[in-house]
Amino acid sequence: MTMVLSALEYLGYILIFPGFLFCFFVGLLLAGIDRKIVAKMQKRVGPPILQPFYDFFKLCGKETIIPAAASKTTFLMAPLVGLAGLVVLQMFIPIHGWAAFSGTADIIVILYLLLIPAMATMLGGSASGSPYAGIGMSREMVTVISCELPLVLVLLAVGKVAGGDSVTFSFSVISDYQLANGSLILHPSLIPAAIAFLMIIPGETGNHPFDTAEAETEICEGLLAEYSGAPLGVFKLAHAVKLLTLSSLFVALFLGGVGTGIIVIDGIILVLISIVITILTVSLVHAITARLKIEQVFKYYWTVVSGLALISLVLAWYGL
Amino acid sequence: MELPFIKEAVSQLFSKTSCEMYPAVPSEAAPRYRGRIKYDADKCIGCGMCQRVCSGGAITMDKEEVEDGTKITLTFNLGSCTFCNTCADFCSTKSIELTGDYHMIATKEEDLIVTGTHVKPKPVKKAPPAAAPAAKTEAPTAPAVAARDDGKPVQDPSKCVYCTICAKKCPQGALEVDRANKVWKCNYDDCVACGNCANVCPKKAIVC
Amino acid sequence: MFEKLINESAAKSPWLFHINAGSCNGCDIELVSVLTPRFDAERLGFKLTGSPRHADIVVVTGPVTKQSLPRVLRAISQVPDPKCIVTMGSCPQSGNVFKGSYSVCAPLSQYVPVDVDIAGCAPRPQAVIEGLALATKILKEKREQK
Repeated sequence: MTMVLSALEYLGYILIFPGFLFCFFVGLLLAGIDRKIVAKMQKRVGPPILQPFYDFFKLCGKETIIPAAASKTTFLMAPLVGLAGLVVLQMFIPIHGWAAFSGTADIIVILYLLLIPAMATMLGGSASGSPYAGIGMSREMVTVISCELPLVLVLLAVGKVAGGDSVTFSFSVISDYQLANGSLILHPSLIPAAIAFLMIIPGETGNHPFDTAEAETEICEGLLAEYSGAPLGVFKLAHAVKLLTLSSLFVALFLGGVGTGIIVIDGIILVLISIVITILTVSLVHAITARLKIEQVFKYYWTVVSGLALISLVLAWYGL
Repeated sequence: MELPFIKEAVSQLFSKTSCEMYPAVPSEAAPRYRGRIKYDADKCIGCGMCQRVCSGGAITMDKEEVEDGTKITLTFNLGSCTFCNTCADFCSTKSIELTGDYHMIATKEEDLIVTGTHVKPKPVKKAPPAAAPAAKTEAPTAPAVAARDDGKPVQDPSKCVYCTICAKKCPQGALEVDRANKVWKCNYDDCVACGNCANVCPKKAIVC
Repeated sequence: MFEKLINESAAKSPWLFHINAGSCNGCDIELVSVLTPRFDAERLGFKLTGSPRHADIVVVTGPVTKQSLPRVLRAISQVPDPKCIVTMGSCPQSGNVFKGSYSVCAPLSQYVPVDVDIAGCAPRPQAVIEGLALATKILKEKREQK
């Protein structure tokens, strides 16, 4: 009986709260708010906030064309793998100390899971057999490598501060530390790391100006060039969910002390903070910048952002 | 990295949009905008000048012989039109007008067709007037040659230099000018009295 | 219920793909101006996509030159159903001033079924918005018939 109940509980986690349904609604809502705010910043009216929902459902109703050169199974499964990776990732991220799944080294798991959506787009793109997708794939790979180094440095700095003597790779330790000592963003040595993490968000989600891999004007949307119908919709959904994932990661790493302990209210607080983070890091940056070249993306992440994260790491190491 | 537009972006977030909410708020075209063609068949004399000058080949003229004359149908295909206004400029009776209506959305071909029909009566054979009415006062600038009463051209041989411009401009090909032998001839049955020859004559030698 | 949701969404998120079939650039500029802050077609859900696979509405400008005709047909055939083909300007409807040239294959309607013609040379952005709005209606009808 308890087995069945705990199985149902986990099914609930996967399908409803930190899992699929929550990701679906909040992710698309964030994407809609992003588009609306960008439009407002450009003095336009902008699409309705529910526009990504319309886009998703419309794409579900479209024909799915599978190119003759494509490898069919990989082509169709890649978007699902990407979305599943993000949904699983969402369950590892603690919300005010509570996480659906937790382990001793979940930060390592998160690092790998964050790669899965990017890997899935790369797999799907290269399975489509389009030369545009090939160019997009190489660019996406460079973007992933660019973002990965500062991300690891930020996580190390946070782990060092939260872990005290040794670097911790456990989210539960980090959130316990924050519950006891207040949010880590107030910790002086971690302020550069927090800024670096905010700078990683647009790159990791593939938004302006770092969307070189999906540049629609130069390489026909790159990796997604051959996708149509429902698989494209799932990719767009995964793209939207990534906004939620990265902002809740920011909340878990740096704003862990914010909350009440009641999971519903904490969920709402998480959504509100995610909206603010999305507006700050994605919409504002989208409205004021133009797309960078791939080598500029690489240079930016490995100098400016990695530099900030490194300062934080050094400060944390010397216990400042 | 420079971020030059951050101030504008934030201030515009809270300012009014610069959108024209088009389908909700109707929009008028600018004055003298050249849109959908309006054709007044009653004014048309069927000279065919518009067809001759149309660069897009959008105008077709169908002639059909009926009991009391010639039925002339002019068809303007807006799907082939450049809206250059040349037809309206050349129309001697101002029967063509390009209006400010720009709503030219079509789901079938007929939506883009503007057409009009009029019947041109058969030419009535009558004796040419013997002479100009004596009642006409002879002003110093008055033409040496009296005008016909049906608006068709008459040549003033004292002014004419036989340059043949009138013959080239005649949409009906009713004028025949022989430069070598100094002969100016008008086929009054073909003439539609459009007045183009008188307008283009550099010496003002044609009276209509 | 899901089916109804999809039908409702079909008219609310039309994505455009623009093909230049030898156009003089007049219509191309007018099409892009529809997405500028002054007219902002995005408030109606329009979005310019880079790949024909993502599109719902194909906008063709230009007199369909002999060189571009096979490419135009190939790009249009890559658009997933339900789709809507819109010709913009006089050129793809008749050839306009290029009519009769040895290298011009207009009208486009003799090769593919054209749903909406937007006449004008070039059409005003308002007329373009009007034509695209009509195309979304046709798109929804096509989706419901399926």
